[in-house]
Amino acid sequence: MNYTVINRHLHVGDIRLVAVASASLFLIGDADAIHLSSAFDTPPESLIIGPFVPLVPTRGEAP
Amino acid sequence: MKRTSVVQTFHAETLIISSVLQIGDSERISARTRAFAVQRQYELFFGPEGEQIFPVLTKPIPRWTSPSPVAARQTLHESPVISVQSVRVLAISSSAIVHIGSTSTAEAEARIKHIRQLAGSESSAPTRGRDL
Repeated sequence: MNYTVINRHLHVGDIRLVAVASASLFLIGDADAIHLSSAFDTPPESLIIGPFVPLVPTRGEAP
Repeated sequence: MKRTSVVQTFHAETLIISSVLQIGDSERISARTRAFAVQRQYELFFGPEGEQIFPVLTKPIPRWTSPSPVAARQTLHESPVISVQSVRVLAISSSAIVHIGSTSTAEAEARIKHIRQLAGSESSAPTRGRDL
């Protein structure tokens, strides 16, 4: 199978971004390969109400 | 063959935490962030609190490998230029990449663990870290 990509004229006006964050990519150009990964963990138990003690994961459990 | 990027005006306010602003072509860009964000109702610092044992910060993330292409691709750049009049960015953070120009490989990884700690209804001001 053959396929052809033709990149014609590309002119962009004004770009306004508030934020590019957490393994994101804003690219003006060409690329061969892009690998982006982001892990964000805020489980319910991450809101702790009670005495201030140092944080360590619960034994045998994924925190 | 890659195209040329032309940007007339560029303005960025803040660039922090392993982020990259690349103007010009690049071959490979790799950015990594690990953040352990703890918000406490009172200022209390216990020093290291087990950052290395939270799976979200340590577990390997599987990497996708592209299969061999099933089609023969041909790319024709009828115009060798990508042009942008202006770019304004307020903030670039946590392994983000802003790239004007072409690249071969761009990779980024961000791992963030966020915990909020509030005082219980019966507990008042913190006692730890003060003279008792």
